[in-house]
Amino acid sequence: MNLAHLHLLLNHFPIIGTIVALGLFIGSFIGKNDDLKRSSLIIFVAMALISLPAFFSGIGAQRAIRKDPGVSAALMDRHEGAAMLAVFLMLITGALALIELWNRRRIAREKLWSGNLLAILLFSLVTTGVMARVGTTGGDIRHPEIWDVKDVTQETGISAFVHMFEPTPSKFTDLMLVSKYWWAFMMDLHFIGLALLIGTVGILNLRVLGFEKRLTGASLHRLMPWAMAGFGINVLTGTLAFIGMPSYYAFDVAFWLKILAVLLLGVNVAIFYLTDAFESVERLGPGDDAPRFAKLIAGSSLFLWFAVITLGRYIQSYADTLR
Amino acid sequence: MVPPTFLRAIEDSGFSTWLRESESPFAFYFVLLFHTFGLALLVGANTVLDLRILGVAREIPLAPLKRLFGIMWLGFAINAVTGVLLIIAYPTKALTNPVFYMKLTCIAFALWIVTMLKDRVFAPNLDEATMMKRGVTLAKWSLVLWIGAISAGRLLAYTYKYLTYPCQ
Repeated sequence: MNLAHLHLLLNHFPIIGTIVALGLFIGSFIGKNDDLKRSSLIIFVAMALISLPAFFSGIGAQRAIRKDPGVSAALMDRHEGAAMLAVFLMLITGALALIELWNRRRIAREKLWSGNLLAILLFSLVTTGVMARVGTTGGDIRHPEIWDVKDVTQETGISAFVHMFEPTPSKFTDLMLVSKYWWAFMMDLHFIGLALLIGTVGILNLRVLGFEKRLTGASLHRLMPWAMAGFGINVLTGTLAFIGMPSYYAFDVAFWLKILAVLLLGVNVAIFYLTDAFESVERLGPGDDAPRFAKLIAGSSLFLWFAVITLGRYIQSYADTLR
Repeated sequence: MVPPTFLRAIEDSGFSTWLRESESPFAFYFVLLFHTFGLALLVGANTVLDLRILGVAREIPLAPLKRLFGIMWLGFAINAVTGVLLIIAYPTKALTNPVFYMKLTCIAFALWIVTMLKDRVFAPNLDEATMMKRGVTLAKWSLVLWIGAISAGRLLAYTYKYLTYPCQ
C-alpha cells in the first residue's frame, strides 16, 4: 500500500459519512429520536477525524500520477482547493458535534432545538455539499468519462459560486510560509495546546490508574472541555502547518504513525464514553479503585498521547522516508 | 562582535559533536523528545493547578492537588538535564540569542511561583476559599510566564543568529 492507495481508500468516508450522518441528524428531529441524534453526532466527529488522513494523503496520490500525460495539473489544483475548504468546514462541523455530545451528557432533559443544533445543521449541510464537490472534482482528474462538458475547468452555476470560496493551494501554502514568526506562532500554539491537553487528560487518566485517590472521577471529568480546547488548537495548527509544508510531512513515516495514534485515541475516547467505563469513572468517589477495564482505557490513553508527542518530535528526522 | 571562544570549545568536544551530528535516534532528537515530555509534565500539571485555582472545575477538591507538585518537579528535573544537554549540543546557537535569556527568565519566575503556590496556597489547614484567594494572582502569572517560556523556546528554533560557531 502507498499514499495514493490510502487516499483512494479513505476519501470516500468523509463524503458518504457526512451524507449518512446528515440523514440521521435530520431524521432525529422528524422522529424526535435522541439516540439517532447522538449517533449522527458521533459520525460527524468520526468523519472530521478521518477527513484529516484523507486530506493529508492527497499529495501522495498527486505525486503518483502528476507525470502522467493524461493528467491535468489544473484539475488536481481545483480538487485540492475544494478539499481544503471541505476539510475546514468538516472540522467545524465535527467540533460543534463534539460540543453538543459533551453538553448532552449533562443536560437531563434534551431541548428539541438550540443554537448549537441549528449551527450543526447549517454546517453539516454546507459540508455535505462541498464534500460532494471534492468527490466530483477528484473524479474528474482520472475519469474523463464523467466530464459533462468539454472543458471541465470551466465553472458554471453553483460550482462557480463555491469555487469563489476555495483557496488556491499554492497561495495558501505561501501564506503559511510568509514569515518565520507566523510559523513560530503556530508551533507555539501547538505546544501550548499540548500542555493543556496532556495536563487535563493526564490527571484524569492518572486518577483512574490510582494516583491520588482523594480526587473524584466526576470532578476531574469537568476538565475535559479544556482538553477538547487543547485538541482543537492542535488539530487547527497542525493542519495549517501541513498546508504550509505538505511534502515535508506527507512522505514522513513518523507523521503517519502520529496520525494513526491520534485516530486510535479517537477510538479510545469512543470506547470510554460508549461503554460503562464512563459511568464507572463518574462514580469514582474518594478512595475508590477504578475497575480494570477503565484502567486499561486510561493506561492506553496515556500511552497513546505520549506516543503522539514522541512521533511528532521525530518527524524532522524521518522526512522523505515514504514515497 | 565575535562570540566568545569557549562556545567553540564546547562545540568541538566529542560529546557535543555526537549530540549534534549523530544519525542515531538516541542523540539530539531523543534529548529534544524528553525536553518535550518534561514540558508536558511541568506545564501540563501546573496549568491544571492554575485553572483550578482560577475557578475552573470547582468540584475538584483543591488540597489533594498538592500531589501535582511531585509531577511538576519531575518534569523540571527532566528539563534541567535535557536543557543542559541541548546547550551542549548547540552552545553558540542558544547563548548568542537574547531570546534564550528571556526564556530562562520566564522559567525562573515561573518556578518561583511554583514554590510560592506550594508554600502559601497549599499551606496546611487552609480552607478552599482562602487557598483560592491567595492563589489567584499567582495562578494568572504562572500561566502568563509558562506561555512566555514556551513561546521563547519556540522562537529559539527560528531566530538564532548562529547555528554553530562562525568560521573565521
